[in-house]
Amino acid sequence: MTSTYTAAHTYTRTHTATFLTGAVMGAVSDILARLGIDTNRLYSNWARDESAIKAWIEEGSLKQVVLECLSPAGKLVTAFEFDVAYTTGSGAEFRASQARMARFHNKIASVPAGTTYRLVCTFNGWHSNQPGWSTTQRSSTAGLSSISFGTLGRAPDATASMRYLR
Amino acid sequence: MKRHRDVAAAPVRSPSETWRTISELVVATLERSPDIQRAEAEDAMAAAEPAGLALIAGGHLDRHPITLIAGTVDCTIGTVTGTRAFDVDENLNPVPGAGTATEFAVHLPTPEPHDRLVRRVADLHPRLSSEQPGAPVQEASARSGPIIDLAALERLRD
Repeated sequence: MTSTYTAAHTYTRTHTATFLTGAVMGAVSDILARLGIDTNRLYSNWARDESAIKAWIEEGSLKQVVLECLSPAGKLVTAFEFDVAYTTGSGAEFRASQARMARFHNKIASVPAGTTYRLVCTFNGWHSNQPGWSTTQRSSTAGLSSISFGTLGRAPDATASMRYLR
Repeated sequence: MKRHRDVAAAPVRSPSETWRTISELVVATLERSPDIQRAEAEDAMAAAEPAGLALIAGGHLDRHPITLIAGTVDCTIGTVTGTRAFDVDENLNPVPGAGTATEFAVHLPTPEPHDRLVRRVADLHPRLSSEQPGAPVQEASARSGPIIDLAALERLRD
């Protein structure tokens, strides 16, 4: 699918998917580093997860990527929700709010030692199967309050925003 | 001679593709030296991959490039992320000057919050460093002493 914009370049849905996937994965990586959570699994599975999220954005099925931080007992400690909204005519720019994200890190509360994480995706109806991903249930967020970060990344065909639950 | 190379990141390339491109540039540069084995360069870049992915995806490599030192090669390699990535004048040819290199070092930047990850990764391979590269010209100046001989000036005053 090719979008038409009066710009010097032709942007495709693939560009949007590549850009927003990078923005979300970058935010996940930054947050886990900030929280001191072991990221070995994130980097060893990076190519697989990047490919899956990109494919889902490209097909327009991805609704949300959720970073769940779980205590050693398996209880949800905190979560970050990355909502993907599909738009048309949202401009011909690819912009990420990385500087604002760096400042937002000051608002992130620390987590107990031994906290682990998992990535959960939710969908708008049908979605393709991707290697390494299986069906699961989201952890309950009851009792957590939410802080909106706003737009994390903006691309011609879609935007990604972030919400912090603690 | 200091050089700089920019590599187009997202939306042109994903973080994985961007790191692969940077790695290939580094390996192709080092391969020019008969004294550096391709496998050693590939191993170093493979060990650095977790840090590379984090630095690229978070946009950190846009502002804090990595530095390759080998022979007369003193080259920073950074990324360009966002709309400007489409306008990057990429030069992915080997960086000139590594033909006489007998060793090399890849210096990784340590921006927060990835400073600990970068240091951990740098410890995995002897060719990786989380320290800023020393400036060869300044080191040479330091070894040869000050440019002005203060003692000689004192003698002239006498």
